[in-house]
Amino acid sequence: MANIRQLDKRRKSVRNIRKITRTMELIATARFKKAMDRAAAATDYTKRITQIVQDLANSGTSVSHPLLLAHDTVKAVDILVLTANRGLCGGYNGSLVRVAAQRRSEIQEQADAGQTSVSGKRGISAFRYAGIPIEKTYTQFDDQPSFDEVAKIADELIYRFVSGQVDRVDVAYTRFISSSKQVPVVETLLPFAGLDVSSNTATQGTATQSTDQEKKVRDDYEFLPNASAILQEVVPASFRARLFKCFLDAAVSEQIARMVAMKSATENAGDIIKGLSRTYNRARQSKITQEIMEIIGGVEALG
Amino acid sequence: MSTDTSVHCIVVTPERTELDAQCEALKLPMYDGELGILPGRAPMVGRLGFGLLKLQSATGEQAWYVDGGFVQVTRDGVYVLTNRLLKPEQIDRKSAEEELQKATAMVANTPQTRSVRERALAQARGKLRISS
Repeated sequence: MANIRQLDKRRKSVRNIRKITRTMELIATARFKKAMDRAAAATDYTKRITQIVQDLANSGTSVSHPLLLAHDTVKAVDILVLTANRGLCGGYNGSLVRVAAQRRSEIQEQADAGQTSVSGKRGISAFRYAGIPIEKTYTQFDDQPSFDEVAKIADELIYRFVSGQVDRVDVAYTRFISSSKQVPVVETLLPFAGLDVSSNTATQGTATQSTDQEKKVRDDYEFLPNASAILQEVVPASFRARLFKCFLDAAVSEQIARMVAMKSATENAGDIIKGLSRTYNRARQSKITQEIMEIIGGVEALG
Repeated sequence: MSTDTSVHCIVVTPERTELDAQCEALKLPMYDGELGILPGRAPMVGRLGFGLLKLQSATGEQAWYVDGGFVQVTRDGVYVLTNRLLKPEQIDRKSAEEELQKATAMVANTPQTRSVRERALAQARGKLRISS
């Protein structure tokens, strides 16, 4: 019976697919761990920067920088969308593109200019398909984005912002909350709000209550050349670190999304194999039964 | 400082903690020249320039290129925050020259763009100095 052979063929192909998805799951797991380690290693820098900003604020410096100031009129808004280069990661790219495209149409209502930049092949093709013009595309970011590459983008955004070519910069990425929760978000990166000094000092107050003495020592910082000159450098550095964090979050979330998608794909393939095996066995059994019946019929006819 | 005879030096880049070492003394490339740090230095926050970070220990002197950033001297150590930490050998003279040309060609017609240009110039010059 052709049906039996067909069933067997299908079962074999599903088995092959299961092998692939299982391997992809394992690879995604390994990459996720690596990306996670990188993200964890990067927190040291952010912590230190925050510490310096706190020290600056504690020394009575007024925190002001061109990157922190909102422009009076918002005419041009840039949006940067961080998607993956590869698919097969469930709703990761789709939901991010949806969020980003929605924000973009909101932007177009308010502002009449601005660039749309997309990182990741998936996002690029999705935007092209939707007919949204893209000014810049990046495809060099994989599961381990390098700071140098991100810093280039950051410096360009800083330049555009301080020179008045753009009045706001939004970034759409998948924020990593925990290994079981990642959400696509759109955040406004410029004017920069990452230096929330008041809340920093509030958290520091509770954290260092027991080490009051240490806090007193920390207050006596000498600033070279002076506090405001350091601030001039801290703000861009902090912005670069913030953007880098977005890329790292996106990379970690992508691997998790792929891991989950491939896990369910493997499980689903298992279920399909089970179903196919059952149908196959049933068909084979009925074929055997039928053959026996035919033989018995033949013997009876002879006798 | 951790002890009276040694300085704990930690170099952090946005990617990871690059260096965590004890040394007898260290020299930092500040924005306006070198600054030496000995054990027991008073707390300080300073801006770094583009130059060599030198670590002096019993085994000799080691040097790294520091790509701007900050230094924070606290009681428990010297924290260097920089974009990149490279061995001096890793700096290519040719690309440094190209960077200098690019920086010189930048348009600077507002105070903000001027500061961007100056930064790029200082970075390229710092690299060029080391590579020669």
